[in-house]
Amino acid sequence: MTTALLSSRAARDWAFRGPLIALVLVLFLLPPLWLLASALKAPNDIFAWPPTLLPSPATLVNFATAFDQSGFGLFFQNSLFVSTISAAISVLISLMAGYALAKFRFRGETFVFMLIMSALMIPLQIILIPIFIVLKELGLLNSLWGVILAPAATPSGVFIMRQYIRSIPDSLLEAARIDGTPEWRILFRIILPLSIPAIAALAAFTFVWRWNDYLWPYLIITDQSKWTVQLALANNVGQWDINWPRLLAMSVLSVIPTLVLFVSLQRYFMNGLLSGATKE
Amino acid sequence: MSSIQSTIEATPGITPASAGRSIGNTPWSKRLFPYLLLTPTVGLLAIFTLYPLVQGLWMSFFKRGIVVVERAPATWPKFVGIDNYIRLFNDPEFFNTLAKTVGFVVIAVPAVTAVSLGLALLLKNRFYGVGAVRAVVFFPSMISLLITGVVWKWLFGLNSGLMNYLLSLLDIAPVPWLDNGTMAQIAVVIVWVWASAGFYMMIFIAGLTTISEDLYEAARVDAASNWRIFSRITLPLLKPSISLVVILSSVEAFKVYELVVSLTGGGPGRSTVYLIQTIYETAFTKANQAGVAAAQSAVLFLILLVLTAIQLRISKEKA
Repeated sequence: MTTALLSSRAARDWAFRGPLIALVLVLFLLPPLWLLASALKAPNDIFAWPPTLLPSPATLVNFATAFDQSGFGLFFQNSLFVSTISAAISVLISLMAGYALAKFRFRGETFVFMLIMSALMIPLQIILIPIFIVLKELGLLNSLWGVILAPAATPSGVFIMRQYIRSIPDSLLEAARIDGTPEWRILFRIILPLSIPAIAALAAFTFVWRWNDYLWPYLIITDQSKWTVQLALANNVGQWDINWPRLLAMSVLSVIPTLVLFVSLQRYFMNGLLSGATKE
Repeated sequence: MSSIQSTIEATPGITPASAGRSIGNTPWSKRLFPYLLLTPTVGLLAIFTLYPLVQGLWMSFFKRGIVVVERAPATWPKFVGIDNYIRLFNDPEFFNTLAKTVGFVVIAVPAVTAVSLGLALLLKNRFYGVGAVRAVVFFPSMISLLITGVVWKWLFGLNSGLMNYLLSLLDIAPVPWLDNGTMAQIAVVIVWVWASAGFYMMIFIAGLTTISEDLYEAARVDAASNWRIFSRITLPLLKPSISLVVILSSVEAFKVYELVVSLTGGGPGRSTVYLIQTIYETAFTKANQAGVAAAQSAVLFLILLVLTAIQLRISKEKA
């Protein structure tokens, strides 16, 4: 009796939930798919009214325009360079700091931890002017290295690594120390391989954060040859007479690295989030 | 991953030379090791975050002609005490921006909390394909808000956008989404919620899974209505997640900027110019106002500090 009641309830539940889930899918898939469909249309078909849902014929001409006319290839390269190097630095130094905070007892430990975490409360947006001055003093204005180095130390990265390394048994480290293994070797030959899941998650997150950075590079970079993808997009969308076919193609291209990372590391992205990684 | 590997191979610390030296690992060098490990992180944070914060707060008490001080004494910053703050509080334009930003937060935060909670309730149970649906909803939060803004600017086009076309199918006249001040403000909220909801949905799903299934079973056996189950079980037990989402999204909402850059450009007029854009413009496009911009930053910092303090308090209570 009870089970029959429950299953009829479940059926009613699904009659209600099914259409809602379909609606959610439409709401979240339509904008990106419409972007893709529009970018694949011939430039003259883009503004057709009533709009045609599917491009006919589909063409890559807008993508070619993006590369030929706007130097998008170069901006894409700059972004790849910045995001890759910055993510690599972040992961390496977070691994080191996380190891120190997880496995060593030393004077000032709590202080250092609090110091690092306090940086979480200081978003770039509120230190725009002084950071500009610091970068100027260091000769890093208008340099991709300024874009790379300034945000390379991430408190959330240190936190993720510390939490993860804590779960590695101390006995492994003790055994290695008794064998006379030098400390650096313990870090890179024992801790690092065991932390691969955390490292992968952090690397993916940091890459995406740096890929998405806009205010930073906007502040620092003046030469068009050093533009990142986001700077190029902002410049194109800010023009009085927007070249929509080109801009749409550029937007599609700009999403690809994030999409590839997300699809291949989806588990890490969504689980990493649940285990305490938040937006930067 | 290969780049990390090569960085590691290239790190001098693990060359055979150091391996040989460390046979006689003195306690002294061992004691130093954790500090060595922390140096890059602490160093970079000190140079690029902590020092600039102190410097920025300090600057807010000076009149400063230009952002970068030249060597000539005539351009040196002049100490003016709290003048910049007084100026700020007497500046209707700043108050207007602050009020608009607070208004954005007050509308966008409840909206994103409700939407992401609704999505979490819809997608918390396992069913075939639930992972894919969650991923579809989550993905926009990984995209830069600048790109999201481009996508929606295209959708919102007055006479060529898909939105107005879909509305025309329902016999609704074209909506001037981005050409009218109020509509543009609403559009920014809609797109911001669309872009952020998936992220907060995952926090809610994590919170929902901690609620024991037994409670729901018991309620169902008692034939409690869905609304009753939600208001008497789910909502009270979800309080920690709700506070977390409200605080995190408030911090994000106060910093709204990139989305506006592409979606509205701050317009029409200045109807969607929020705090960050104002700080940037004051610092870099107005004469003699770098100190004022520093004071504006300090106000925003204070707001974010209060929000973070509340968050810490809540997460402590939770623990």
